[in-house]
Amino acid sequence: MSGDEHSLYVYGAVRASELPDLDVTGVGGESAALKTIARAEVAAVVSEVEDGPLSAARDLRAHWRVLEEVASRTTVVPVRFGTVVAGEEALIRDFLDPEGERLAALLAELRGKVQLNVKCFYDEERLLTEVVSGSPGVARLRERVQGLPEAAGYYDRIRLGELVSAEIEQRRERDGALVLDRLAPLAVAAKNDAPGTTDMAVNAAFLVESARVDEFSSQVAKLTDELGSRMRVRYVGPMPAYSFADAEVAAGSPAWA
Amino acid sequence: MASSQGSYLARPQPSGLAEVIDIILDKGLVIDAYVRVSLIGIEILTIDARIVIASVDTYLRFAEAVNRLDLEAKSDSKGLPELMEDVTSGGSKSKTQGAIEGVKEKVQEATGSGDDDDDDGKQKTRSRSRSSSRSGSRSGSRSRTKDDE
Repeated sequence: MSGDEHSLYVYGAVRASELPDLDVTGVGGESAALKTIARAEVAAVVSEVEDGPLSAARDLRAHWRVLEEVASRTTVVPVRFGTVVAGEEALIRDFLDPEGERLAALLAELRGKVQLNVKCFYDEERLLTEVVSGSPGVARLRERVQGLPEAAGYYDRIRLGELVSAEIEQRRERDGALVLDRLAPLAVAAKNDAPGTTDMAVNAAFLVESARVDEFSSQVAKLTDELGSRMRVRYVGPMPAYSFADAEVAAGSPAWA
Repeated sequence: MASSQGSYLARPQPSGLAEVIDIILDKGLVIDAYVRVSLIGIEILTIDARIVIASVDTYLRFAEAVNRLDLEAKSDSKGLPELMEDVTSGGSKSKTQGAIEGVKEKVQEATGSGDDDDDDGKQKTRSRSRSSSRSGSRSGSRSRTKDDE
């Protein structure tokens, strides 16, 4: 890394013809002024950053705020948190030049759309009760394990947990399909990611046209009623298209179909 | 958290940092040529966001949980308030959860989405973040507790 050139923290890519005017603090603290570096159709939103670790509390927030701000003004392809490049030259050589066309296509794809996330959570006690009463195998093994001292039942307990886990996985697949089935038709793209926690049933992201957000929201409300007390729903957004900032979208391949 | 009435969900919640922290850590365009810088305090969060569900720790926890079930009782006998109590009562919390919440709260304060600058997060953590830390802690803390000591 050359001594006189600062490393650049990269937030995202925007259309060069729509450079946003930004007045937020970037990653790394007060001195981190945001700037854009354009090349042909696409520009990167960056700020200079000192080498060394970032701070979770301060810099996660800065990254998020910058992208919220940019997204409120123009379409942005968010870059993964913590991405730093050696300097302007490297940014152009390794990012804007080789990725420019792909980014331009992706920006066109994302234009006028927002990401909305729907997470559903099981009430674990209720879920487990259903699992035990719905699966004779689980119920049997449970009774057996309950009769054993802890050390003796170690492997049986693992087996029991594994069975329970498999049952939950089945329900998760079913419920994920249900949620996608209800909501995906109103979205341009949809993804159901792996659950982040064991009680998470659905972890879905939707790319929705801004004009259809209200329609989407009322569908979420209907779905929530349908799920009733079986699952708790958290509906968050709109946010920049973090979950759709990837190659498949740019290539126009229907990964979500 | 009010149980989900239709009206409650007529609009999405604005994406506060605490709500989208897992997305921010895990999503976005990745460019191979790039360096991802290290981040102080991030290890816990990333592990929290990527809990391994198919693990012995998780199996043992499920086994313990089904063994504790009182099948005589109604399936919905334990309501959300009690679950929340479980979460907020210090005894059932692991150190790790404390750490996770610590970071989340810091982040929340930093975003200005917290109510004030008061350090005492337990009291003011609103239901939505509480519910997220509940889910996080239930799984995250389990898998962490051992290697964390």
